[in-house]
Formats: sequence, structure tokens, C-alpha cells
Amino acid sequence: MIPLLRIELYKIFRRPRTYISFGIVTAITLVIQLAMLSDGKSFIGFALQGVNEQFDIRGNILNGYLITYLILQSLLIHIPLLVALVAGDALAGEANAGTLRLMLTKPISRVQLVFVKFLGSFVYTVLLIVWLAIVALVLSLVLFGTGDMINLKSDAFVLLLQDDILWRYGLAFLFAVLAMTTIAALSIFLSAFTDNAIGPVISTMGIVVILTIMSNLELPLFNLIKPYLFTTHMIGWKGFFDDPVPYAAIMRSAGVLAMYTVGFLGITMLYFNKKDIKS
Amino acid sequence: MIRMYCAYIFLLLNGLAFQSSATEAPELFEVLRNKVLSVHDYTAKVKMKINVNYMRIPQLAGVLYYKSPDKMKLERNGGLSILPKKNINLTLRNLIPSGDVLVIDAGADTIEGKTVRILKVVPTDDGAIVLTKIWVDEARMVAMRTETTTRDEGTVIMDLRYDKYVSFALPDNVTIHMDIKEYKLPKGVTMDYNDLPDAKNIKKVKNKKGTIQISYLNYEINKGISDSIFEKE
Repeated sequence: MIPLLRIELYKIFRRPRTYISFGIVTAITLVIQLAMLSDGKSFIGFALQGVNEQFDIRGNILNGYLITYLILQSLLIHIPLLVALVAGDALAGEANAGTLRLMLTKPISRVQLVFVKFLGSFVYTVLLIVWLAIVALVLSLVLFGTGDMINLKSDAFVLLLQDDILWRYGLAFLFAVLAMTTIAALSIFLSAFTDNAIGPVISTMGIVVILTIMSNLELPLFNLIKPYLFTTHMIGWKGFFDDPVPYAAIMRSAGVLAMYTVGFLGITMLYFNKKDIKS
Repeated sequence: MIRMYCAYIFLLLNGLAFQSSATEAPELFEVLRNKVLSVHDYTAKVKMKINVNYMRIPQLAGVLYYKSPDKMKLERNGGLSILPKKNINLTLRNLIPSGDVLVIDAGADTIEGKTVRILKVVPTDDGAIVLTKIWVDEARMVAMRTETTTRDEGTVIMDLRYDKYVSFALPDNVTIHMDIKEYKLPKGVTMDYNDLPDAKNIKKVKNKKGTIQISYLNYEINKGISDSIFEKE
């Protein structure tokens, strides 16, 4: 399995487009940091206007921890696309290149092949999130400094002390890996049904966008199905920035995401095992 | 203006009811006010807990700087400082009217087993304070409680407990009860993680009162503080 994974990783990281994702993450992060450096105070003034009516908040509000939170909030909407770019190509790309049938002539099972493709996408996802952590957290701390972090929710104002934040980011990034792994599994699942990589990538994004809208719209019909949508649970990382941390809810969200991941992967294996490979 | 006249009539009636002790009330208030005004500045190590229904803030420790009449700053070694806005300040001085006032004796009450005199104070100017009610411990000449009705920011109740710094009328513990305005941000902006059992509970809380508890660990009084300390960051 290890040699197979090594080959898979070689294939992923040999392709220039793999690094486009890292470039996009860097670019978006830098754009947000630049925007906050130039006009962050008016943004904070707008966000805090409800609290500022009665309380005078002073200090380095716009610090690296808050900037990282804002970057994560916006980037975790875009990262599914970047994950899908690689994971969606896993099986469909091989089929498109005409190498899938050749691979399956080797003494490896189809289940093994799907699993290795998943592991390759998982490693790529982990590295993408690690890169995000470096450029978002480390660079933001360098540019904006440290300080207590405020977390503005629709009905609550949460203040986290500066020595109580780093561990939250550690767990939030771990949760982000889990959420993005679910996206990778979905992309591989869609990738098994087609011989063209563009289809799974666009389908993954379509599904994520539609389900995210359903997760965020306050409609009675959607409220019934929200708890079962994986997009509802993908923002579980935000729970680590609440006080107290709602561990039960986060574990439930993690469980739902893990079930979806295993489900997508299981169905992919079942389908791919019986699929008539023609290219 | 109508509110002001109503307050005068109310206080006049109250004054007639307690005519026997009314003559002492202005002097008592003057002695108390002079004692409070004798503190021009102080630096104090404090621990502060803000209990407001929509705020989740841990206990904040820091150094509180105060300079009369109304400068105040909480310094937290690189951390954020959160203080109530100017008119609802943390000091007794800001809640006791400083100009010409009408003082009426409103009887007696008991706080923690001690009998205290109640004074009703109405400023004659058009300042932020409309009416202040003060519970005075005559033996120690300190205010144990104040209830201040402000023009724009509701009613502020302050409970004060004294120990080491009673001679300066500076409390060791203060609890401020204040009216809290509603807080709401659009969910589309915050993109809340809704799967929180405690978040559901918060929505049911309609408490519009908040408290701020401050423990003063030590004071350095009237040592002089530079204005630059209070410059906004």
C-alpha cells in the first residue's frame, strides 16, 4: 500500500496545477490581510457598532488571531473547490488519460486503488490546510500582532484571552482537515462515475454551494433537513472559538462528517468494484 | 423639562414627609461629596467580571487608571480593555452630581445589617444625570449604594463595599447594575455554527439588565497620572 501511495503522491505533486491551489490560498490570504491593514478599523467599527454603543473597547482588536478567523471564514468556502480540483481528478483523470485499465492489470484490487486515491487526496488536503495555517495564522500574527480575540456571533459577543487561543486554532485546523476530507471523498465518489475530471469538480462545487445555501437559509423546510447535511457540520470548527466550547455538538458534527466520508468512500468502492472499465 | 418638574414635585413631597431630618441632608451630601472629590486620581490592580446576557467574557485582570473628573483606562498587558461608556462610568464620582443640587432626605434603610440614610439628589443643571439616590453609611461617611437615573443611558445601580480604603471613600468591591441594549448581528454575516445547545438557551434569555463586578486589589491614590496614559489606542 505504501509504494502505491508514494506513486499516487508523486503523480499529484508532479502536476503544476496542484500548486495552483497553494497559490490561490496564499493570494486570498494576502488580499484579506492587505484589506485589513488598509481599512480594518472601519470594518471593526461596523462589526462592533452594537457593542460600542454601551462599551468602550480598547487595545489591539484587529490582531492576528481575529484576522486568521476572518480568513478561515472566507477561505473554507473556497477550499472545497481546491480540494475537488485534485480529488475529482483521482479516478476520472486516470480514465481520461487512458491509464486506468492499465493500472488495473497490475496485481492490486480495485478497492485498494480507490483507497490509495483517497489517501493521496487526504495527504494533499492536509498539506493544503497546513499551508493555510502557515500563511493565515503565522503571517497574520507577524503582520497584526497578538491580543485577545473577539468572536462576533449573531446573538453573542465572545472574548477569548490571548493565552487561550492557539490550542483552539490547532483543533479548528484539525476539524477543517476532517471537513475537507469529506469533500475529497465526495469528489472521488463523483469521479468514479465519469471519464472526465471537469464533471466531478463542477459537480462537487455545485453540491457544496446548494447544500451550503440550504444550511444557512432559515426556512422551516430546510430546518428539518439541516442536521443531516454535511455542509451544516463543516463549520463545526467555529465551535472551538466559543466559550464554553460545545464539545458535544462538535463531536456530533465530526461524527456526521466521518460518516459521510466513510459513506462516500464505501459507495465508491462498491460501484468501482463492479464498474466496466473501458479506458 | 416636564420630567424635571415631576421630579421636583416628587422630591418636595418626599421632603415634607421627612421634614425632621431634611435639614441635615444637604450637609450630609456635601461631606460625602467632598470626601469623594478628594480623590483626584488613582491606579488600582483590579479583577473585573462582566455579566451581560449576550457577552461571554472571562474575568479580566489588569490595572485601572483613573483621573478626575472622568478619565479612565483599563490596561491589560496587551489584552483588550472593555469598560462601560463615559456616562456610566465605574467611579462613584461620575454618579454623584457635581454642580448645584437639591438634596432631600428619603428616610432610612438597612444594607447588610447596617442602618443607612437615603438621600435623593436632583441636579439643577441639564447634565447627564436626572436623579441620584444615595444610601449613606453615616458612621463611615461612605455611599453603600447609588441609584442614578441618566438622561440617555437608563438607570445605573452601584453597590459598594469598603475595607482598607474607606478613609478615601474608595471601595474594595463594586457591583454595577446597568440597563443593557439589545445586541443582534445578521446571521448571513456571522455564519453562526448553529448546532450549539447553549446558543439555543441564550435566545430565550430576555434579561436586559447587566452587572459588572470589580474587585480592587490595591490603590495608589493621588500620586498624579499623566494624560497621555488615557490616549485612545
